[in-house]
Amino acid sequence: MKGKYHVIVQNKRLRYEFDIKRNITIIRGDSATGKTTLYSMIALAARLGDSSGVEVQCEKKCRVLEELDWKLVLQNLHDQIIFLDEDNLFLKTTDFAGMVKESDNYFVIITREDLANLPYSVEEIYGIHTAGKYHDMKQVYNKFYHIYGENHI
Amino acid sequence: MLKIIFGDIENSIYHPPTYFDNQYEDEWITDPLSVEMVRDIDKSEVISAHLIESPVLGPISPKEISGGVKTLILMMFDDTGKIFNASSCGDNCAKWIVEIGKRKDLTINLHHVLDFSSADEFDALMLNTGRMIHGYREYFCEAMDIKER
Repeated sequence: MKGKYHVIVQNKRLRYEFDIKRNITIIRGDSATGKTTLYSMIALAARLGDSSGVEVQCEKKCRVLEELDWKLVLQNLHDQIIFLDEDNLFLKTTDFAGMVKESDNYFVIITREDLANLPYSVEEIYGIHTAGKYHDMKQVYNKFYHIYGENHI
Repeated sequence: MLKIIFGDIENSIYHPPTYFDNQYEDEWITDPLSVEMVRDIDKSEVISAHLIESPVLGPISPKEISGGVKTLILMMFDDTGKIFNASSCGDNCAKWIVEIGKRKDLTINLHHVLDFSSADEFDALMLNTGRMIHGYREYFCEAMDIKER
């Protein structure tokens, strides 16, 4: 999997819109900026589809990966964008780093920890910024911003 | 007094938000300190023990407040002796960790160098080295030398 992918995740109240450019993207930043909410919306959409009420627009399939049987699941995933939350203890392991290296998926990891085993760029560390209301003034519009820089994407 | 220990330790709750969801008590939510922390960090108002009004999400339950505030509430009110992973907290929680450390003996676990620069002058015992630090500059220098992080 190569290239840049535009992702929109939205429900009636929230809209996230961002680009994923490399195989590893890190999301961190202040509390209460919507990191876990983004993760939960993607998890719901992946599990329930249209029934979730969450809409995910992306050229590639977006899903989450959780602690239980993660190795078994990951080795069967291809050409997808995989979101991981900070509660997964395996994120720091060399096993996970090895599987990421061999994988053809993109990974979006929510964590404040330095994942020394993973080769990610400082350019791909983002926070989430609320950019205001969207369209009907009920939906809050969220974008990514570079933690180590000023540019929004 | 605030004590800080970096790295993997026994008796630590690695993901406090999940622990909070299964262990919190109603009176923790309506305590004035919790009300103030929810207002400051989540920009939300505690209406009752079961209802919080969020400007983004609308009416929510305590299980939907931010992971950072959940962790702070546990640090203040949980009396099981558990040590909570403060890497679940954003930098905007740092001043509240210092505040809680002034009210009780508090040991926190960190897996990254939390930015305490927003806190006023504070003292803390760095348990990895046994050194007492005074203020953010000393904390930062000490933390950068701790290999367990």
